[in-house]
Amino acid sequence: MSGVLDFFTNTLGGLWSDSGLNALFSAGGYKNLIMILVSFVFMYLAIAKGFEPLLLLPISFGMLLTNLPMAGLYHPELWVLVDGHVNYGEVLKEGGLLDILYLGVKLQLYPPIIFLGIGCMTDFSPLIANPKSFLLGAAAQGGIFFTFVVAGLLGFTAAEAGSIAIIGGADGPTAIYVSTRLLTGGGAITTGNIALAAYTYMALVPIIQPPIMRFMTTKKERTVKMEQLRTVSKTERIVFPIAVTIIVSLLVPSAAPLVGMLMFGNLLKESGVAARLIDTAQNALMNIITIFLGISVGATTKADQIINLKFGGVMLLGVIAFSLGTACGLVFGKIMYRVTKGKVNPLIGSAGVSAVPMAARIAQKVGAEADPTNFLLMHAMGPNVAGVIGSAVAAGVLLSVIG
Amino acid sequence: MFFNPFILAEKVLVGTEKLNATQIIAMTIIGLLVVFSALLILVIYLTISDSIFRNAGKSGKPKKPSVEKKPAPAKPAPSKTAPVKQKPAPKPAPAAPASSEDEDEVVAVIMAAIAAMGEADGTQYKVRSVKQVTRNNGKSAWAQAGRVRATQPF
Repeated sequence: MSGVLDFFTNTLGGLWSDSGLNALFSAGGYKNLIMILVSFVFMYLAIAKGFEPLLLLPISFGMLLTNLPMAGLYHPELWVLVDGHVNYGEVLKEGGLLDILYLGVKLQLYPPIIFLGIGCMTDFSPLIANPKSFLLGAAAQGGIFFTFVVAGLLGFTAAEAGSIAIIGGADGPTAIYVSTRLLTGGGAITTGNIALAAYTYMALVPIIQPPIMRFMTTKKERTVKMEQLRTVSKTERIVFPIAVTIIVSLLVPSAAPLVGMLMFGNLLKESGVAARLIDTAQNALMNIITIFLGISVGATTKADQIINLKFGGVMLLGVIAFSLGTACGLVFGKIMYRVTKGKVNPLIGSAGVSAVPMAARIAQKVGAEADPTNFLLMHAMGPNVAGVIGSAVAAGVLLSVIG
Repeated sequence: MFFNPFILAEKVLVGTEKLNATQIIAMTIIGLLVVFSALLILVIYLTISDSIFRNAGKSGKPKKPSVEKKPAPAKPAPSKTAPVKQKPAPKPAPAAPASSEDEDEVVAVIMAAIAAMGEADGTQYKVRSVKQVTRNNGKSAWAQAGRVRATQPF
């Protein structure tokens, strides 16, 4: 009789000690609890406030899953570099669900595929019609490099500074691509931090940009009406992606995966001969990869790693990055205004921050505040899509210099 | 430094080390330079392709100041100025020349609008001609259309 009782108490005791609840209340478990609460905040932002929900919701749920103790979905220790690379055999053997999904991130597979989908949905004709927009797209990437300066001065390592800087590219896949390559695991910052900062601030662009835009431009500059864009022929739109791929890949080879896939998607769309492929790339493929990417990147925000001041530092530097990018774009916009003797509206410079199409819409909005008959949207789309290419090139630069 | 494939193998900055001031400044300058140069080259490419393709495109385009279209078999439809009712009330006026591109787009919009209205009514309209109306005696086309509608026999 006592044997049966013993069996019961032992089994129940064993179940309890193996349970996550026990782990939460034991040493260090409070950190997981904090991260779970943080994940609730981001879920609230995604669901109730509509902050980039397609990515923020998977990321925040990944954050929740990874911080449930004993669940074993993600193991940060598997991803630390040993002799310069990850022990993939170990990952396959010991990895949990999110470890396996994270393989696509670590192997640099997901971000280029997302760029493929983005290319399918992007129209480069405002850029082709007004090539000067490329320079505005380049100028806004100044936000990336000036943030690098700030991060470096604050004492972040080269890899961390590079990953934080790329947040200024305002491009989620690019930021994830760079940070997974640069951050070697075991550090204070993870890809999850970077992705969270990037997507949160992309959603906050309508709040971050307008004050800077109003502060840095005069009313006269804001009311500039730009010449209507010429129509772009189909041939031009087909040759453009091919030419950009070749030119960028020859100049900055590390940017080739991102730019190549972006342009591939665009070529598929412009050629018009691959309707089924476009349909899949824009819809099913994008959605699948977004889900996998989001949830596995969210999983990297495991408590023991990231509860430290550096997480807050990343969030702070993120908003600095976006602001600097906007400012640089506006400065160059003003230069172009002077140089073209008033033909270019400086506001479109802020659209060089490549949060497509949000930044372009904001340029339109602020322009319409100054003059309701001013339609800047198409003009702002030029720098906006140029910024996507620009941030991919900047990513390539960071990747080739930082080891 | 960047364009030499042999140098690319050794990264210049070590990832796990903190940065000193010279490295930071150098990185910033180089980064901005490379991004600007790459995109500048793309601008040059676009400017060149601009002139190539624009000359190629221009030769093929016919210019047509007036347009006649017959898209669907149905009751004959009024022209632009008349009220769109079951009875046709044509109001022809001399066509004003406009650029062919704008004109095509305007015609397309008119046809779409008429088709949409027709759908609501349940009738199918056939656009016979679209002509721009010039002001008659200083009165607007809308006023004229209103007058026609009011005076139509019913």
